Amino acid sequence: MITPAARPEPHCGHDTWYPLAARITNVVQENFNTRTITLEMVDQAQRNDYQWRPGQFNMLYVPSVGEAAISISSDSDKPQVLEHTIRTVGSVTRAIEHMPVGSVVGLRGPFGEGWPIEAIEGKDVVMMCGGIGLAPLRPMVYWLLNHREMCRRVVLLYGCRTPEDRLYADELEQWHEDPRIDVLVTVDNATSQWVGPVGVVTNLLRRIKVSARETVVMVCGPRILNRVGAWSFLQLHVPPEQVYVSLERNMNCGFGRCGHCQYGPKFVCRDGPVFRYSDIHDIFAKEEV
Amino acid sequence: MSVPDGKRWFLPKESLDALIAVLHQQQYVVIGPVFHDRAIRLEQVQRADQLARGVRDEHSGGQYRLIDGNQELLFEYVVGPDSAKKFFFPPRQELFSLHVKGEQFVIDKVGPAAPKLAILGLRPCDLAAIAVQDRVFGYHQPAGDEAPWASGFRCESELYYTQAREQSLLIAVNCVRPGGTCFCASWGNGPQVNKDMPYDLAMTEMRKGFVIRSKSRKGAAIISSLSLRDADDAEVELEGLLLQRAAEHMGRQLQTDDLPQLLDRAIDSPHWDNVAKRCLSCGNCTMVCPTCFCSTVSDSDDLATGSTTRTREWESCYTHQFSYTTSGPVRSSIRARYRHWLRHKLDTWHDQFGVSGCVGCGRCITWCPVGIDLTAEVESIRRYDSRDENHAPPRITVEARP
Repeated sequence: MITPAARPEPHCGHDTWYPLAARITNVVQENFNTRTITLEMVDQAQRNDYQWRPGQFNMLYVPSVGEAAISISSDSDKPQVLEHTIRTVGSVTRAIEHMPVGSVVGLRGPFGEGWPIEAIEGKDVVMMCGGIGLAPLRPMVYWLLNHREMCRRVVLLYGCRTPEDRLYADELEQWHEDPRIDVLVTVDNATSQWVGPVGVVTNLLRRIKVSARETVVMVCGPRILNRVGAWSFLQLHVPPEQVYVSLERNMNCGFGRCGHCQYGPKFVCRDGPVFRYSDIHDIFAKEEV
Repeated sequence: MSVPDGKRWFLPKESLDALIAVLHQQQYVVIGPVFHDRAIRLEQVQRADQLARGVRDEHSGGQYRLIDGNQELLFEYVVGPDSAKKFFFPPRQELFSLHVKGEQFVIDKVGPAAPKLAILGLRPCDLAAIAVQDRVFGYHQPAGDEAPWASGFRCESELYYTQAREQSLLIAVNCVRPGGTCFCASWGNGPQVNKDMPYDLAMTEMRKGFVIRSKSRKGAAIISSLSLRDADDAEVELEGLLLQRAAEHMGRQLQTDDLPQLLDRAIDSPHWDNVAKRCLSCGNCTMVCPTCFCSTVSDSDDLATGSTTRTREWESCYTHQFSYTTSGPVRSSIRARYRHWLRHKLDTWHDQFGVSGCVGCGRCITWCPVGIDLTAEVESIRRYDSRDENHAPPRITVEARP
């Protein structure tokens, strides 16, 4: 009675378990445990189909190891070039760490809701991130620079442990020189060459002027930064409707069916990973929701 | 609750075999409740005499026992650990196998197609649970019975669910003897089927046979091929009395009208700590729950062929790895895991799927090894919720363990 199921065509999208083959075309070592890999879809048609928005993520797949949710960190206006900044923390990321240029990984995606591009029109944009949290915001920086006329000021506040831990160090230098964007970087532990600020990233708020009503805030970092970061903007009277936070959860399917990434009533993979603060304010402060 | 009106027939006990034969004729794999592993399980049956007969089940918190019942009756028990979930959303489901060839992924094999199942002996709470999972997996039974279809969302694993549900025939049996942990009546999900439930045939057992009604064209076709006589007035009246009595004998009760609001307020309730002292975080409740849908897809290798198989398995939100991220599990305490489960069932399920995730079958109470009772925990949370802020906390009574 039991016959095999129909074989679906592999396709790009948010509703499939079939990984698409993507080849690694470039690898950049960012710091001691983080690398940025550039992927391109092996299949030309799939490469042309693939569209995504800043803040979305892919499930990267290594056969016989598993999948990991990794945000896309390249320029969404060049959607065929997919960069993923990956810190080696688990089995899948370790397997990818050992892959040389030319290797093939599986890719499903793009998943989730990205940063609120509609909400920034005519506003100031302040991005606050820590550590690897810069990776999901990097497409947003590119997007803002590409469509600079959309908004007023653009500020990037970035904190990391040491100057050597900075991601995209060369690019940060470039942006630092760029008059279209204000970049402030702080480190927890300075080395002798470091002349910038030292301390937690929320301290950088003392160095900028936030016109609360006119600012859209994007926060991405470890759990503690998401909280303290979002709250520090609320303290400056930024309306909770204008504060956006990107959350991290265990992900398995990517399309809201496996249950792993539940955050109260939300599925982080489908409804997030970027949430508006006012939509999650009742559970944001709660531990272990 | 609205009792389905309409025509009722009478199916004599001897004709159960004829019913099964008709199902076989129509290429169905017939599933029914059987006595297996000292429990009532849902398994494939060929003949009516394989169905469990003359057994009753005793349910209480952490307790399940089968005892001798009336040998003339088949359906004196209520629900065992199995539910229809395991047929539509299999505990282990191979999605596909692949290997890497050059720069391509080659799909070696795709998972099996869904079998055509006729499930006999589902209880009204089971039907309610199927309706819940239909929403979860994006399958909606339309108003008529023809051309059911899947909603826009189409992923391979959901295609299996859709296919299995589309082909299925559901034969329900109303409960005339509710179990000790049943509280379906509190949800309006029993003890008898109602017209919103997905079923094809529904029966009520009596000594000599069944009063049977049909809801769908599939069901009507089966009735006509059995050439049954109409149920007489006495039988219809007896059915009404039996079901009325059953509704009055629910083992548990739950006030259901305000649960989402109550559990929203209760996110910091001190009662979670009380539950956490008893809960073993074993995940039994999630495995027996007919609506729980969490799963994990993982890889396994065939060393001989070099092919990797991706398999989806049931997962429980009570495990440590369920919410694991690189900065540790999101819900590391048992307190948080129980809270997540209960709030998901009774509160956030409404936000996600527009219905409650609990149908009142009582399985989570029966199969909890320490007898944690959902209805009692909700009542305790309610008492905390309604107490004056400055008042001493009320004493929590924990059901005495035998």
